[in-house]
Amino acid sequence: MELSNLAVHARLRSPWESIDLGIALARRHWWPLFLVWLLPAALLFAACHWLLPDSPNWSLFLIWWLKPAFDRLPLFIASRTLFGEAVSVLGALKQFFAQNRRDWFAWLTWRRLSATRSFDLPVTLLEQSSGAARAARIGVLHRKHASAATWLTLTGFHLETFLLMALLGLIYLFIPEQVQIDWIPLFSSGAPWFEWGINAFYLLVMAAVAPFYVVGGFCLYIGRRIELEGWDIEIQFHRLRDRHQREQKQRARQASRAPAAAQLLLLCAVAVTTAISIPPASAASAETPVQARETIDEVLAGDDFHQVEEVSGWRLKEIERKDSEFPEWLIALLEWLENRPVDSDSESDWGPFIGLLIEILLWATAAGLLAYLLWRYREPIRRSLQLRRQVEQKKAAPETLFGLDVRQSSLPADVCAEVLRLWQSGDQRASLGLLYRATLSHLIESYQFEFADHLTESECAQLVQLRQQHPAQSTGQAEAQLRPVSAALSGFVHQLTTSWQQLAYAHRAPESARVQILCDQWREAFGRDH
Amino acid sequence: MLDTTCLDTTYSVETPEGIDLRAQAAGPVPRILAYAVDVFYRTLILAALGIALAFADRAGWGIWFLCSFLLEWFYPVYFEVMRGGQTPGKKAFGLMVVNDNLTPISWGASLLRNLLRFADFLPVAYAAGVICMTLGRNFQRLGDLAAGTLVVYHQPEKPHTSLPDVAPLAPPRGLQLQDQQALISLTERHADLSEARQCELANLLEPLTGKRDKEGLHYLRSVGSWLLGGK
Repeated sequence: MELSNLAVHARLRSPWESIDLGIALARRHWWPLFLVWLLPAALLFAACHWLLPDSPNWSLFLIWWLKPAFDRLPLFIASRTLFGEAVSVLGALKQFFAQNRRDWFAWLTWRRLSATRSFDLPVTLLEQSSGAARAARIGVLHRKHASAATWLTLTGFHLETFLLMALLGLIYLFIPEQVQIDWIPLFSSGAPWFEWGINAFYLLVMAAVAPFYVVGGFCLYIGRRIELEGWDIEIQFHRLRDRHQREQKQRARQASRAPAAAQLLLLCAVAVTTAISIPPASAASAETPVQARETIDEVLAGDDFHQVEEVSGWRLKEIERKDSEFPEWLIALLEWLENRPVDSDSESDWGPFIGLLIEILLWATAAGLLAYLLWRYREPIRRSLQLRRQVEQKKAAPETLFGLDVRQSSLPADVCAEVLRLWQSGDQRASLGLLYRATLSHLIESYQFEFADHLTESECAQLVQLRQQHPAQSTGQAEAQLRPVSAALSGFVHQLTTSWQQLAYAHRAPESARVQILCDQWREAFGRDH
Repeated sequence: MLDTTCLDTTYSVETPEGIDLRAQAAGPVPRILAYAVDVFYRTLILAALGIALAFADRAGWGIWFLCSFLLEWFYPVYFEVMRGGQTPGKKAFGLMVVNDNLTPISWGASLLRNLLRFADFLPVAYAAGVICMTLGRNFQRLGDLAAGTLVVYHQPEKPHTSLPDVAPLAPPRGLQLQDQQALISLTERHADLSEARQCELANLLEPLTGKRDKEGLHYLRSVGSWLLGGK
């Protein structure tokens, strides 16, 4: 029995799952299992037909009673298949008597009606145990799986009956309506050929169901053994050990190569420094990956990686504070309602109370409505509180745009002089850049433009143009306070932006005269701000 | 990772996220028995109803037939959809009906699979259903195939197992998932497997652990306990 050849997946299964596995296994090898059950039984059936032609039912009963004998060959094939050994139908048939030698009498007499037949049969057939040993073994196996084995037998028995009915029913359905058969004499007088025919069908059904029943019980037995003996663990441990040994062999091969190289190095070292003799082992120890890994493991297991720190101190306990479910005022209200002086007139007693209740409800509705309205129109309300809005706006002014510092504080005192000085010194990019960011800075500070991070240079220029064309429609809440933009400023921003884009991205510098004009325009636009 | 060469009854689905979902498909024997339990319950209900309605004469008969019709066709549908895919019979055997992508069964699928019991019944006594179930790869009967459903085992919560009394130890490097699972299994089953067999299993790993018998077993249990979260 070589567990590594096991054809089924070894894992812990419930008894029902084991039976299902048996069904799957029987399905896969159904033909040989069916044939090795059917052929001996059919042979006996034919012999009975010849010897006792008048008692078809007794013949069938004989075959039914001999089931344990016929069950052994399917079990034999299944047990060999489970461990990856193929058995041919002919080879199995030759084994018929050899397989039936052990305990055949017991199985055909007092054990014939055992409800756990297919579960117990492997103990006899595969473990070859009998007598007290068998009883002890069966006791252990039955502890958990006996009920499933019993239900398997019961189901198999009923299934045979139902399938026979189904087979006969199917045949009946296919008899054409035109064919008139007189059924009554067939059933009442018992025509022998009719009974032999039905019994032959029953034999076929028995042979068809037997593989599933036998292999189902066998897999139930295997499932119990996997559980009892830890087959799943054994198979996995075998794999782990094999893998480990393979890896070790590989490592040893690598290691044997490494010291050779190390020794070669060592020889050179010895040749150079003949004074000191270094022990070869210590030099090699740091070289091989195996030993290096061991050192690493030692370090990892050491104290450095397992430091435990104890921290003690005072901290607040998390006390679960359970608030009263009803607020104080509600309790007070109820108490007040209860303690109210009761009117002497008992009929009008409820009137004021209900009135009060409705009043409270109305007030609550009014409060709710007010809260809802406040929430619904929260945006316009907030907008009308302009003070807060402006504070926010100041805060939101960006510090850099397109990577340029646009804070007022970063600009020189006389922007135009600095621009022209830089231009003449040849640093055109810095020069025009300064002019551009000074413009942006002033647009933000003096004109309250909101240049968001995502805008491009052209979009900024478009914003300026937009406010020039439609001063009233431009975005922003506090329109009255936004400074209008003159046509000259808008034109200047447009020209400057174009020049800056040309220089910054296309590396095409404007003429000096043009820079001069831009500077003049800048002075006109923003000069007064200083 | 599942060894595909080994026969098993596992049904697996891969979700679009690349997660493997697995369930154990349930075969004909527990399903036939679960069906028998359901038939038993239905018969009880109908018998009680019959006794109660015996006084209503012909109207009683009418109501009884209506009820038996509803019970025959909609008893499974109700339980499958409203009770997590389990009729009382299926519950008794730990079975549940799911869609074939392992999601809870829907109304449409449940109605279809139960109305098609008619096809499974042919020619008599559910022969077609039983044969189809036995021969199908995932034990589906005709109704299941049409509705795209599946009967699987309901995986119960694992009862808490007592662990052996050992101090946890960090495992050696290079253990794969299955190795770790086997070690955990060995630790968890310390009371079920015989002591001699456990030593035998521990000796298999002697090249790794360098220990034998009791000592080796003790070490493996320590590692298993560590893998189970003991610190």
